[in-house]
Amino acid sequence: MISFYRRLFSLLLLLPLSFSLMAQPSADAGKTLFRNYCAQCHSKDMKTVATGPALAGYDERWADYPQEDLYAWIRNSQAMISADHPRATELWDEWKPTVMNPFPNLTDDDIASLFLYIDEQLAGPATAAGPVVSTGEAADTSGEYNWLYWILFAILGALSIILMRIIGSLNKVVAHQEGRTVIEQPLIKQIFSKRVISFLIFGLVVFGGYTTVSNAINFGRQQGYAPDQPIQFSHETHAGLHQIECQYCHDGARRSKHAVIPAANTCMNCHSAIQVGSTYGTAELTKIFASIGYDPSTDQYIENYSDLETSEIETIYKKWITDKYLEDAGLDELDSRGNKLVNDQWEGIVTSLTNDQKKEIPGPIEWTRVHNLPDHVYFNHAQHVTVGEVECQSCHGKVEEMELLQQHAPLSMGWCINCHRQTEVNFEDNVYYASYESYHAQLAEGKKEKITVEDIGGLECQKCHY
Amino acid sequence: MSKKIEGIWIGEKDLTRDPEFIKDARKELQNSNLIETIGESEEVEDLGGSRRDFLKMMGFGVGAAAMAAGCDIPVKRAIPYVIKPDEIVPGVASYYASSFVDGGDYCSILVKTREGRPIKIEGNSLSKVTHGGTSARAQASVLSLYDVNRLKNPAANGETMSWDELDTQVQSILSNSRGVRFVTHTMLSPTDKKALGEFIARYPGASTVTYDPVSSAAILEANESSFGERVIPSYHFDQADIIVGFNADFLGTWISPIEFAHQYAKNRKIKDVHDAKMSHHVQVESQMSVTGSNADNRILVKPSEQGAAIAYLYQQVMGLGDRSAGLNAEAENSLRQLATKLTSHKGRSLIVSGSNNTAEQVLVNALNLSLGNYGQTLSFEHASLQRQGDEAELAQLIRDINNGTVDTVIFNKCNPAFEYAGMPGLQDALNSVTNKIALSYQATETTTMCDLVAPIHHTLESWGDAEPKKGLISLIQPAIHPLFDTRQMGLSLLTWAQSSQLDSSAEQPYYEYLKSNWENTHFANQSEYQSFQAFWDKTLHDGTYSGNGATKITTEGVRIDGTAAMSGISRPEEGTLEIQFVEPISIGNGQYSNNPWLQEMPDPVNRCAWGNYLAVPVDYDGKKKFNGLNGLKDGDMADITVGGATYRVPVVQQFGQMKGTVALAIGYGRTAGGACAAGIGNDVNPSIGFESGRAKYYSSDVTLSGPKGKEKHFSAVQYHHTMGVTAEDAHGEEFNADETTLAPGYGNIFRGFQGALVDRSIIRQTHINNIEEAIEDLAHEREHHEGLNQETLYPYTKYVAEKYSQGHHWGMHVDLNACTGCGACTVACMAENNVPVVGKKQVARHQEMSWIRIDRYYYGDVDNPNVVYQPMMCQHCDNAPCENVCPVNATNHSSEGLNQMTYNRCIGTRYCANNCPYKVRRFNWLDYTTADTFPANQFSINGEDIPYGADNLTRMVLNPDVTVRSRGVIEKCSFCVQRIQEGKLTAKQEQRALTDGDVRTACQTACPTGAITFGDQNAKGGELSTKFESPLNMIVLEETNVRSSVQYTMKVHNRDESLDV
Repeated sequence: MISFYRRLFSLLLLLPLSFSLMAQPSADAGKTLFRNYCAQCHSKDMKTVATGPALAGYDERWADYPQEDLYAWIRNSQAMISADHPRATELWDEWKPTVMNPFPNLTDDDIASLFLYIDEQLAGPATAAGPVVSTGEAADTSGEYNWLYWILFAILGALSIILMRIIGSLNKVVAHQEGRTVIEQPLIKQIFSKRVISFLIFGLVVFGGYTTVSNAINFGRQQGYAPDQPIQFSHETHAGLHQIECQYCHDGARRSKHAVIPAANTCMNCHSAIQVGSTYGTAELTKIFASIGYDPSTDQYIENYSDLETSEIETIYKKWITDKYLEDAGLDELDSRGNKLVNDQWEGIVTSLTNDQKKEIPGPIEWTRVHNLPDHVYFNHAQHVTVGEVECQSCHGKVEEMELLQQHAPLSMGWCINCHRQTEVNFEDNVYYASYESYHAQLAEGKKEKITVEDIGGLECQKCHY
Repeated sequence: MSKKIEGIWIGEKDLTRDPEFIKDARKELQNSNLIETIGESEEVEDLGGSRRDFLKMMGFGVGAAAMAAGCDIPVKRAIPYVIKPDEIVPGVASYYASSFVDGGDYCSILVKTREGRPIKIEGNSLSKVTHGGTSARAQASVLSLYDVNRLKNPAANGETMSWDELDTQVQSILSNSRGVRFVTHTMLSPTDKKALGEFIARYPGASTVTYDPVSSAAILEANESSFGERVIPSYHFDQADIIVGFNADFLGTWISPIEFAHQYAKNRKIKDVHDAKMSHHVQVESQMSVTGSNADNRILVKPSEQGAAIAYLYQQVMGLGDRSAGLNAEAENSLRQLATKLTSHKGRSLIVSGSNNTAEQVLVNALNLSLGNYGQTLSFEHASLQRQGDEAELAQLIRDINNGTVDTVIFNKCNPAFEYAGMPGLQDALNSVTNKIALSYQATETTTMCDLVAPIHHTLESWGDAEPKKGLISLIQPAIHPLFDTRQMGLSLLTWAQSSQLDSSAEQPYYEYLKSNWENTHFANQSEYQSFQAFWDKTLHDGTYSGNGATKITTEGVRIDGTAAMSGISRPEEGTLEIQFVEPISIGNGQYSNNPWLQEMPDPVNRCAWGNYLAVPVDYDGKKKFNGLNGLKDGDMADITVGGATYRVPVVQQFGQMKGTVALAIGYGRTAGGACAAGIGNDVNPSIGFESGRAKYYSSDVTLSGPKGKEKHFSAVQYHHTMGVTAEDAHGEEFNADETTLAPGYGNIFRGFQGALVDRSIIRQTHINNIEEAIEDLAHEREHHEGLNQETLYPYTKYVAEKYSQGHHWGMHVDLNACTGCGACTVACMAENNVPVVGKKQVARHQEMSWIRIDRYYYGDVDNPNVVYQPMMCQHCDNAPCENVCPVNATNHSSEGLNQMTYNRCIGTRYCANNCPYKVRRFNWLDYTTADTFPANQFSINGEDIPYGADNLTRMVLNPDVTVRSRGVIEKCSFCVQRIQEGKLTAKQEQRALTDGDVRTACQTACPTGAITFGDQNAKGGELSTKFESPLNMIVLEETNVRSSVQYTMKVHNRDESLDV
């Protein structure tokens, strides 16, 4: 019996070892860290200057100094500046008054992970939009260290067999000396003994539990979710190229909990004039016209549009698509290519504007919702946009570079909480916060540097759950 | 044999220390566990409900849950508007001023809509009638908009048809008709009346029959006889120092309760403790009404003695000698004392009567006139139009039908077949009418008799106006597009009348008709606005308009012949037992009975929900026993025979019920009208008698049996969630039943916290003359409590200084002197916070979900006690016992002093509910909201096909800012945290400090008397901190050191002992 516990103990000792491997620096961990801590100020492509400098070439710029200095800079830049570190002063002169947030909680491994991620971003091809990620897929596991696990597993397995043999032999010797008789057990029997099997089951349960929990935490998260939309609307064109303000279309963001997906008549503010798209021609824009009932051929809204038969609607929009095609191609009559194009585009309109529940073409465009919060979460855009003056991109990423919109942030509770911990409240200017007298006193006395959302209760349950 | 009792009591079971009741009080919940609860569900009963089945089911449940959860996150759609209306911002509520009108019931309201759907009713503070108050009925009206039992299409004998077809049929019927009668409840709308006028003019021989579900015809007739006009005066309860109510439930159901409660409370609140003043309210009645429960003195007279009582008071006031009118001696004595008091308060008293006897009402007029009250406490300026009906017109209708002059009857949203089932000949006459047309909102006992049914809009879908008091008019505007193929009554009338003034091609024809009527009347009579549009916009925005309320009536020089009237009063009847039929504050005479919120709202006085309970008097034997009449106890069933008809009714022992009398509510026991109305309680309308053409809401032809078994689901909620119940151990030593559950079954009882003090501070009350003394006592006691509370390792003051000294610290103040117990707040809370309805069966199991309950306690004399109401909700203790025991930290404290409940973290251990001294936490035993999809978890209220709240129509009433809780989590009052967050956000956006009006809780806005104040304790000089300074304030269970954030005022009464002798 004693020998079994000994064996168990030795194996248990090894167990945490195998887990600790997971804490090694990795580009993956770096990605998460970057999103949580850096992405608000530093551009993701590492080459563009944003609020903070582009991170590409960080190693060259700090090559003259010991690595610890760079680590220290990342953890608390202001301290370095106060300490008159030459590189720090240089950076401060270049970037002041922008202050880099301190991140005292970052470990060396974390920072190493960040560097790995930055290097990976620079090495890998920069794609305009992420790949379409299927819903509910768990976070992708990189195969980088998998082989290591297997080797380790094999070594440990062999080691435990050897140890078992040694202990067995020693026990035998002891027993022999004490004059007891011991029934010899072959190795194979020892391996398949009840004890070993029950230990393996125990190990499996632990491992299974761990995997279940870690996957369950990710359950329902959709970071990177970029579903196809009924209209191939490009934020890159609208917000990027044409620099249309986010809140021109999403006009709820400043005054409501919902940012609001614009109504078709908002689209028509511009598209009654711009009737043919630069990328898709008539294919996509006609869907808006068909939704709201605008006849671009006559520049008129169609009377009693919702009462029209589908065939009548078809005639109107097919005529428009045909006319444009003929005009472009300089033809008088539809050729076979044109015919196909007209039919395809009409098919596109029908599939985009109808579904199981909505049988008729007239009516709203039913977009696929990208950012979903659970029902028990209350989120208010106005609080963040108007009061907190948070940039849209902080949570939604560089939407102006997205051809197909994708969910940038994990929208997990940890991610929310993290931001609430770090974000400073605009405490001085807003009279509302005057009632926080003791904080104002502490600020004045210099006891507090800033008031974060956390300080005024931003981590409390009923700020978001009620 | 009367007995003074120190302190307060709940009911008979409390006073007698009923072992069952003590057992329940010691537990967090009634003796029921999860398996039992599930086993009770209809679906599971079929399975046999054995333990094996249960486990099988659970196994299935887990598997199904995993399958349902699946691996795919469902794709959600985001559907924008095609053309977004300017005034709607998705996610931001819009408010529209409108009016709640149902017959003569009226409330000026604001309708809160979200993305175009009404979700909540608020009071309109601009109204000169209701002053921002609401009633439970008004609050609940938003739910009836989404009633699945609504009539959805025009129909002939059950066959759906189009409006054109219906109109053609109706018009052909009308033009071939010998005589048409339009039967209606009181109509408050001047424009509807104009339309009705056109209709009547179009069809010769047509006329109107107006009646009220509960008649007030005698007042109208008496005023006609005394002053020459058929109106009800405008009462000013706030101007009266002495209020005498003769069975008039003016705080509950009588004429205009919201208005009266507002006025009444003004003189009941203690404004200055050093110069305390309040009105003296005497109620003369047999049963304990809501109004009577608020009275200082109740003079007990039998229902048949009402006339004699009025006459006796008249004699005494007029000095007409001391002839006995056959009244009981105690009442005579009290009335004599009262008369002396009245004569010394000329012009400062108000006498009202709910009697339906004209002579008695004439005497009341004579009393008010001789006491100089006209022009002071009641007047004919802005006279009330809220009761216009006369059941004599119904009697005339019967005669007209029987003699053949009438062959067509149109019923306008009224239900005489149910409401006047006791009227001789009505049923037969209605059956014999050739053509019956119903304008109705839902199926009723009357519509089922009708050939043609023209469904009408809900008020929230209609255009209209209402004139509850002469010259004080409010508009009704639609807050949602009609949900079904319905049409409003006025438009139907105009269509059938083929009115030339109706532009039927208009998009909203009745809107145009309404506007043109206003342009020709009110706009023409004013000079402030030059353009009609400006006038209209302003009126529609405000919702109310004050016009000319002047009257031709003068009371100067009027003489009322009281002596002549004395001969017409009702005489005391022989017989050992009398019954009084009362209108319940919740469902009226059945008009509101298909509203589950109102059914689940307990009656303020007897505290029973879902059904009418026979109130029997309590007989104290002078020692220990409190016997009910005929040995009837709470929850017994009994047979009561009234005039030949026998009903088996559940019984409740009602303190304050006069000996030799019983009381029973009308309006229950509907047979049509949907799942929540049909079969709930007993219909006693057939037993309402008629005397000289007037409905007589009492009878002396009564016999009552002894106990006939127990009610299966006895739902008196006052016995649930009790605080500080005192019990006795085997040695006769008293202990606090709530706090002794630590070591049961060890023979001797383990004392709980602080030795389980039996004298827990729950309510304090005092007579107004002893107020200074009581304040001193209170201060002393609070000091003592503070001393107890200081004995802790964790000094609280330091904690407060660190934690709550800045930002907000939310708190609430409840003025028990203003609370009338009306229940508007409880329904408002259900609407605001998506609180589920659980049905009678679950209520009986102590599982009602209401976040705010109004506890009713008696104090004083056992035979004639006073009552105090205490709204009880989560006290948001700053040292909350519930928080410490949660194993998953699902309930914890915010820096703003809120006791937070996080549903998604809750795992349902219910430790918190067990540890809450106020018993305000509620557990979702079943899937009340059908938030999950397993049928075994779902339940039905009253055998309906679809569980209540599971259909998309009913779910439209849900507040989108509040999570719908699923099964297995605890919930409780959140201080309307969604409103707090909204108010804070508004202030932040406008970059200003938060002010008092920014955050008002649902219960606060619903209250007609302003009893509830919510606010920030840190805002010095604000409304709440000012109220917190009153020395009358106490904290419930302050000695337990839980640091409640809610303060209650001491109840101050003005009982005149001289009336008691």
